[in-house]
Amino acid sequence: MVRAERKVSRQSLAEAVGVHYQTIGYIERGQYNPSLDLALKIAGFFGLPVEALFSLRPFRPLTDEVYGRSQG
Amino acid sequence: MTQEMTGYDRRMLALMNRSEGASMYATATRRRVAVCAHIALTAASVTTWLLTVVADQRWAMWTMLGLLLPWCLATGVINASTRGLFELRERALDERQRAERFRVAARARQIMLWLLLAAAAGAGIAAQQGWSTHGLLFPALFTAFVVHWLMPLWVAGLAVQDEPADLDFDSEAVHAADK
Repeated sequence: MVRAERKVSRQSLAEAVGVHYQTIGYIERGQYNPSLDLALKIAGFFGLPVEALFSLRPFRPLTDEVYGRSQG
Repeated sequence: MTQEMTGYDRRMLALMNRSEGASMYATATRRRVAVCAHIALTAASVTTWLLTVVADQRWAMWTMLGLLLPWCLATGVINASTRGLFELRERALDERQRAERFRVAARARQIMLWLLLAAAAGAGIAAQQGWSTHGLLFPALFTAFVVHWLMPLWVAGLAVQDEPADLDFDSEAVHAADK
């Protein structure tokens, strides 16, 4: 998770993008799909393209990405 | 949180996000207990108020006043558990909370629809049987008003999900922000 990797708290991310800190948790757990506006704000906060953070398919585990293992 | 919030909105937002009583609504069971207690207190308050107004019973007025404080406390617990979903103005809620409020309101409306249908059916059966329901009009309408008013709060209280534990640095930041 990018937020954990950057050591950003839910609270500070939520304040930066103008939402409640619980909403960040809902998005991270896949229980809420953010609007395009909010997704772009979150991507902007991390300085990443929106597709690096949000995808219709589950992201591959980081170890698979690093060591190039294919999905089972 | 798209529109400009007023000072009142900011105060209410801070009030609804205080964490002092978080243990009272930390689990689904505790939230269910709070909602059930609120329903029971509401039923008792409505009954005693009707006895005061309709039957002119003095003891009922004092009982109702005694129920007021626990009722307010139970309301506060539910509001705190929902982070003010139905207490805050729309401009103080973010897009996920607004979607949640809409979903809860729709569910509450659906439940009210069935309750009113059951009440109408009951009234119809009573009329068919020749039972006198003349004196029940005001109590029934007042009860329907109170249930209609509080149903979204009860549904919202039951719909709240447990807040999962997060990374250590996260919870520290949240507590610091609350202070």
